[in-house]
Amino acid sequence: MNAGTDLKVDTNAIEKGLASLWRTDKSDEAITRAALWNVVAHTWTGEQQAQASDALARASESVPSRSIVVRSNPSGRASLSSWVSANCHLVGKNQQVCSEEVVIVADGNRVHHVAPLVSALLLPDMPVAVWWLGDLPSENETYVAPLLDPADRLIVDSREFNAPDDLALVGRIAEETTTAPADLNWVRLEEWRAATASLFDPAPMRERLRDLRHVKIVSGRGSFEFGSSAEGLLYVAWLKVQGDIEVAFELDCARSKPGIELIELRFADGTTATLTRDRERGVVIGGGDAHVLDCITRLQSRGLHDLIVRQLKRPEIDRVYVKSLRVARELADR
Amino acid sequence: MTAIAVEPNPLREGLEQERVPDASCLVIFGASGDLTQRKLIPALYALAHDGLLPAGQTIIGFARPDYTDDAFRAAMREACEKHARTKPVDDAVWENFARGLFYQRGEFTDPEAYLRLRRRLEEFDKTRGTGGRRIYYLAVPPDFFAQISEFLGAEKMVGDPERDGPYTRVIIEKPFGHDLASARELNRVAVTTFRERQVFRIDHYLGKETVQNLLVLRFANGIFEPFWNRQYIDHVQLTVAESIGVEKRGSYFDSAGITRDIIQNHMLQLVSLVAMEPPVAFEANSVRDEKVKVLRALRELDDRVVRGQYVEGSVLGEPAAGYRSEEKVDPKSRTETYAAMRVFIDNWRWADVPFYIRAGKRLPKRVTDISIHFRPAPYPLFSRLGLKMSANVLAIRIQPDEGVSLKFDSKVPGPAVRTAPVSMEFRYATSFGAEPPEAYERLLLETMLGDATLFARRDEIETAWAWLDPLLKRWAANGDPNPYAAGTWGPEAADQLIERDGRKWRRP
Repeated sequence: MNAGTDLKVDTNAIEKGLASLWRTDKSDEAITRAALWNVVAHTWTGEQQAQASDALARASESVPSRSIVVRSNPSGRASLSSWVSANCHLVGKNQQVCSEEVVIVADGNRVHHVAPLVSALLLPDMPVAVWWLGDLPSENETYVAPLLDPADRLIVDSREFNAPDDLALVGRIAEETTTAPADLNWVRLEEWRAATASLFDPAPMRERLRDLRHVKIVSGRGSFEFGSSAEGLLYVAWLKVQGDIEVAFELDCARSKPGIELIELRFADGTTATLTRDRERGVVIGGGDAHVLDCITRLQSRGLHDLIVRQLKRPEIDRVYVKSLRVARELADR
Repeated sequence: MTAIAVEPNPLREGLEQERVPDASCLVIFGASGDLTQRKLIPALYALAHDGLLPAGQTIIGFARPDYTDDAFRAAMREACEKHARTKPVDDAVWENFARGLFYQRGEFTDPEAYLRLRRRLEEFDKTRGTGGRRIYYLAVPPDFFAQISEFLGAEKMVGDPERDGPYTRVIIEKPFGHDLASARELNRVAVTTFRERQVFRIDHYLGKETVQNLLVLRFANGIFEPFWNRQYIDHVQLTVAESIGVEKRGSYFDSAGITRDIIQNHMLQLVSLVAMEPPVAFEANSVRDEKVKVLRALRELDDRVVRGQYVEGSVLGEPAAGYRSEEKVDPKSRTETYAAMRVFIDNWRWADVPFYIRAGKRLPKRVTDISIHFRPAPYPLFSRLGLKMSANVLAIRIQPDEGVSLKFDSKVPGPAVRTAPVSMEFRYATSFGAEPPEAYERLLLETMLGDATLFARRDEIETAWAWLDPLLKRWAANGDPNPYAAGTWGPEAADQLIERDGRKWRRP
C-alpha cells in the first residue's frame, strides 16, 4: 500500500490503478479497506483542491470513504487527467485502515466529461455526498445538475455564498430532487442551537419561548457579504420554525473574525437572555435574568474536516435544516 | 410539589443532544466508594461534556466520611482526570458541572441524616430548578437497601408514580441477591417503598453499544432473522473471558463465584437477547417481556456442566498465582472461577439447539464473544471432491475490538477447485472511528429519561435465579471444582463437554 503517494493513471484505468495500490502492500501491518460513503468534492481552484484533499484525508479517520476530488476549470485548454492515492491511519497497534482518493482535473470543454466519469467510479451500495467548495453557480444549473444526479447529499458552505440566489438553489434542490442538502454553516450553528435549547430546557423557560420578541446576532465578516450573514439568517429561521414564533431580528456582522460572537434574546417583558462565545475556553455561555439558569455548551472543533465528519456522521436527511432553509430564503429576500 | 405539564423542548429537535432530561437531584448513596469515583462521576461528567445534562442537574454524594462540598468536588475532579472517557478534563465544562455537585455527610442508619438530606434537596428545588425530581443511586452493598429505602419512605422522599407529580427513581446495582430466596427478599424490599416502575436495576452489559447492536443486527436487518432458528443454526457459543483474577474483590467473589457474578446476570442477558422473539415495540416492557420468555424456556440443567478453579500459571507473559492464594480468599475455597454449561431453550425457535456458554477468570485474554454456528449446506457438493468445508459462523464481538464478522468458504483462485474459509469483517473502530460512550453514561441518561428498556426487571432476575438455584445447590453439596492453570482456556472437562457433541469451542 503506497499510502499518501499520488499515482498518475489514465482516466479509463482509474479502478485498475486503485486495485494495484492494494496489491503493492509490503508492510507487516494488517490493512483494512473501509468506506461508508462516496464523497465527491467539487472545486474550482488548486487551492480549493488541496483544501478538499487534506480535509477528506483527515476526515477518513472518522468516516472512511472513497473520495473523488474534482478540479474544474471550464476556461482552460481541453484536457482531463487523474491520480489515485490511499489515505491510511492506524487503528489499534498494527491495523491500518485505508480509504481511497481519486483526483480528476478537467479543463476546457472536457469538464462535461466529469459527471459520467465520477458516476463510473462510485462504490456500489454506499451513499454519495457531493461537497461543493466555494460559490454555487446558481446561474449555471445545467452544469450542476448532472454532477448532483447520483448524490444522496449535497454539502455546501453558505458562508461562501455571494447572493441569496445560492440559498434559493439549495432550497430548490431540497424541494425538487431526492438529494438532501446540507450546509457546513448549519453545522457551525449546532452549538448555538444546542446552547439556545439548553436555555429553554427548564419547564418555566419553555413557557417563555412564546414571549420571545427580538433576536440580536453579533458576528464577524467573512469573504462574502451575503455569506457573512447566512449563519445569522439560518439561526433566526430556525428559531421561527422550531419555536413557531414571530420574532424581529437584527444582524450585526461588523466583528473581525467570522462566525457568531453573541446572541441576545429579548422577551416581551423586556428581560433578556444572552449567549456569549468564549473563544479562549472554547465554550458558549448562556445566562440572563433570575429565571434563566446558567448553562455552558462546549464548542466543537471547527476545522473543515471536523465539519465534514459531523455532516457525514449524520446518515439521515436533516429535516430541521430543510425547514429552516425555506424560511432563511424568505428572510434573505427581505 | 406540582409538576408543570409542558411539551418537550421543540428546540431540541434534530440536535445531536435531542433527548435531554429535565433537571433532577441525583443522590448517590455510598459516594465515597470505588464505583462513584471510577464510573459514576466520570460518566456524569462525560454526559455534561457532551451537552447531555440539563442546566440545573444536581448531584449529591451521600456517605459517611466528613467531606465539604469543595473537598468532594476536588476528589471527584481527580477521579475524572483518571477515569473519564474524555481527557483531559475541560475546565469550563468542569466548572459548570461542579457547581451542581454537592456532598451530604451521613450514616445510612441515622434518620436525622435523611432529614438533613431532604431539606437540602428541597433547597435545590428552589435554587436549581430540580422540581422535586429525585433519583437515588444505591451504590452500596445489598444489606443496606432495606434500611435506605425505609428511611427514604419514612421521610416522604419518595413520590407516588400513580399520582401526577415529579418522579422518584431508584437505581440498584448487582448482585441482585445470592439465590432465588434472597433475590425475592431484595425485590420485596425494593417494592415496599418503591413501585416496580421506579426501580432501575443496572446490568452494565446492557449499556454497551455492541450489546444494543445485537437488537439492531437482528431486527433492523432483513437478512438475518429468516435464518435465526433451529432450521439453520447448529449451535450457539457465548464466552465471557477475563484475564484478570479476583483483584481486590476476593472477599465478595469467594462467596459468589463466577456463576453468580457473571452467568446469572450478564450471560443470561446475552442469551436472552440472542434468543428472544422480535418485540412488538422498542420500549421497556415489550423488550423485557420477550427476554423473560426466553429465561422461562430454559431447560433444567443436566450433567453437562463444568466448574473450574484456576491454579498457578501464567497470563499474558506474567506469572499468575492460584485462586486459593489470592488476597481475602479462603485457602480451602471451593468457589468456581470458571463455569461452562450446555443450555437448551425449549421453545419453537430453538428446540434442541445447544447454547454452549462459558465464563472464567484468569483465561488467556479478556474477551466477550457470541458466535452463531450455522448448519452445513444440505448437499455436500464439494466434499465429494475431497474438500473440507467449514461451517459458516457469524461472530459478534462484544469487547474488546467490538464488531461483527461472518465466516464463509470461498474458492481459492486457480484452475483447481480448492476452497478456503474467509472472513467478512465489520469493526466499530474501523467504520465509526470514535470511541463509544461508557455503559454507565448511557444507563444514567436512560434513568434520567425514565426509559427502562436497558434495565433488568424483577421477573427476569427471579427467573434467572430459579433456573440456576438447583445447580448452585448441587455444586455446594458436591466436591471440588476442576483445576485449570491460569492462562489456559479452562479445565479439560470443559473441552469434553462440547466435544462429546462433536463440536469444539471457538477460539475467540
